[in-house]
Amino acid sequence: MRRLWTTFRYTYTSLRWQIIGWGLGVAIYGVMIVSMYDTLGAQQDRLQQIIASYPPEFLAFFGGDAISLLTPAGFLGMYAFSMLPIIVGIFAVLAGSGLIVSDEEHGRLDLIVAHPVGRPGFFWGRFLGLLGAALSIMILGWLGFSLLLGRSSLGFSWGDMAIPFLSLLIQTLVYATLGLFLSMLLPSRSMAAMVTGAIMVISYFVSSLSFMNQRLEMLAKALPYHYYQTVLSFQQLNLTWLFALLGISLAMTGLAYVRFFRRDIRLSGEGSWRRG
Amino acid sequence: MNTTNIIAPNREIAIQLQGLTKSYGKVHALRGIDLQVQRGEIFGFLGPNGAGKTTTIRCMLDMIRPDGGKALLLGLDPQVDPVAVQSRTGYLPGEMQYYDNLTSERQLRFFNDMRGGRAEWDYVRHLADHLSLDLHQPIKNLSKGNKQKVGVIQALMHQPELLLLDEPTSGLDPLMQQEVLGLLREANSTGTTIFFSSHIMSEVENLAERVAIIRSGEIVEITQTSRLTRSSINRITIRFKQPVEFTDLVKLPGVEVLAKVDRTSLTLQVTGDMEMLVQILGHLPVLDLETERPSLEEVFLTYYKKNSIRNKEQGA
Repeated sequence: MRRLWTTFRYTYTSLRWQIIGWGLGVAIYGVMIVSMYDTLGAQQDRLQQIIASYPPEFLAFFGGDAISLLTPAGFLGMYAFSMLPIIVGIFAVLAGSGLIVSDEEHGRLDLIVAHPVGRPGFFWGRFLGLLGAALSIMILGWLGFSLLLGRSSLGFSWGDMAIPFLSLLIQTLVYATLGLFLSMLLPSRSMAAMVTGAIMVISYFVSSLSFMNQRLEMLAKALPYHYYQTVLSFQQLNLTWLFALLGISLAMTGLAYVRFFRRDIRLSGEGSWRRG
Repeated sequence: MNTTNIIAPNREIAIQLQGLTKSYGKVHALRGIDLQVQRGEIFGFLGPNGAGKTTTIRCMLDMIRPDGGKALLLGLDPQVDPVAVQSRTGYLPGEMQYYDNLTSERQLRFFNDMRGGRAEWDYVRHLADHLSLDLHQPIKNLSKGNKQKVGVIQALMHQPELLLLDEPTSGLDPLMQQEVLGLLREANSTGTTIFFSSHIMSEVENLAERVAIIRSGEIVEITQTSRLTRSSINRITIRFKQPVEFTDLVKLPGVEVLAKVDRTSLTLQVTGDMEMLVQILGHLPVLDLETERPSLEEVFLTYYKKNSIRNKEQGA
């Protein structure tokens, strides 16, 4: 347990600049968006005209219509939360795919694993470090979005604002654990990051386009972004979706662990990188 | 091949390998490695690059899983209880890679934390002083040799019972090589068993009591180092100030003339001890003398040639 804690501590510390960078980035964006709502609200007539001038397809792409986008939830959904899974997803893809394989590709894992940590302690320590980093980014983001709520007419409490961040955290975990899982199967970290990133972007576009094109709905349902709850989460969080995504994340982590536990630690020049 | 449970743990033996095999697709990296290293012994593992030295060591630490055979370290199976094996073992990989933004001290503290903080920091400073290493320098600013020193310190700092070292003096200058070998002897004097790989004959001769020679994934010989030294060859080119008579030199046992020029220059291949040769040269007007260590492959060939002649003689 002590050695798992050591690995967790070092992993979390090594991710500190990413936590600060992504977390503060989201937080500052949140402060800006929340303060912008009242400014725009003062010009509601003009805003309605602007929104009405948008093509319905464009509004549908962000999951809204001219009326819902003027509601506080619709406003936050369109201008902030619809894009956050992609923005924070970049962190998830890079951190997840590199969590273990980055050290392996740099030739450092060999010596680290030769220390008496054990593969289970090492793997779960690193995973908890990643989980802690994702959680920290969400907390910083949530604080940024909540900071000016008292002065805003959005009408949300700090607790209400935590709900979409819970959904965002689960989305982040899905992509991070997918990256981790693929890094255990594919020949290189960059390939794992590329495939995970492609799935993330495709998921975003297919889910958004499925609002306009019903034929894409079946495909969208097979992709994670479809189950991301932005506007909905303010009203009623779908716990089934939330736990299903969490379950998928844990399953991918479990599979990555089994693969890591069973395979050889790769060393450049020894054996096939592909076979592991 | 499965030889599980064929070998039983033995307290007197630090390393027991039996029938260890490992393949990477069609490449057979290990073809049934059998060897035993006694506790407190310094054991050299000699072989050319690509012979399977690193693979063997990595199998011992559960970093790679052998296809067949069994390994026991300090009586423990590294596949069953890797943490117990690793906590009593120090390891130096063939190529040291670090977190470059850390200082040597921070890197060593990281390794120490991974071991549950077992190392005494005074001992770490003692090792660093011995190797003239500034612990406050960032790793990225260190030369290859200094990085190797950090690796040597991390392997020794928790004073393990068993040291597994993959080419420990690689990248070090000759003076530092001697310092490292001195530290290893010091560790051995306190009871540490040392298993180290090398492709440098002189290094093995300098340190090891016994040596195993590995070639293409097979152990071809396990012998006393002194025996290997007696069979080792040196190539010597001697130039004389004036023409001399070579008769006494070429008659010496183990000496073979490779080339001679006008009685002023001579190239010899000397197998084994050079004491007699040096004594005779002391009475001759030597201008200069150049010795060249042959490659490991040549050493092996000479070694096998001698052995096969000896075997034939014994057979006759």
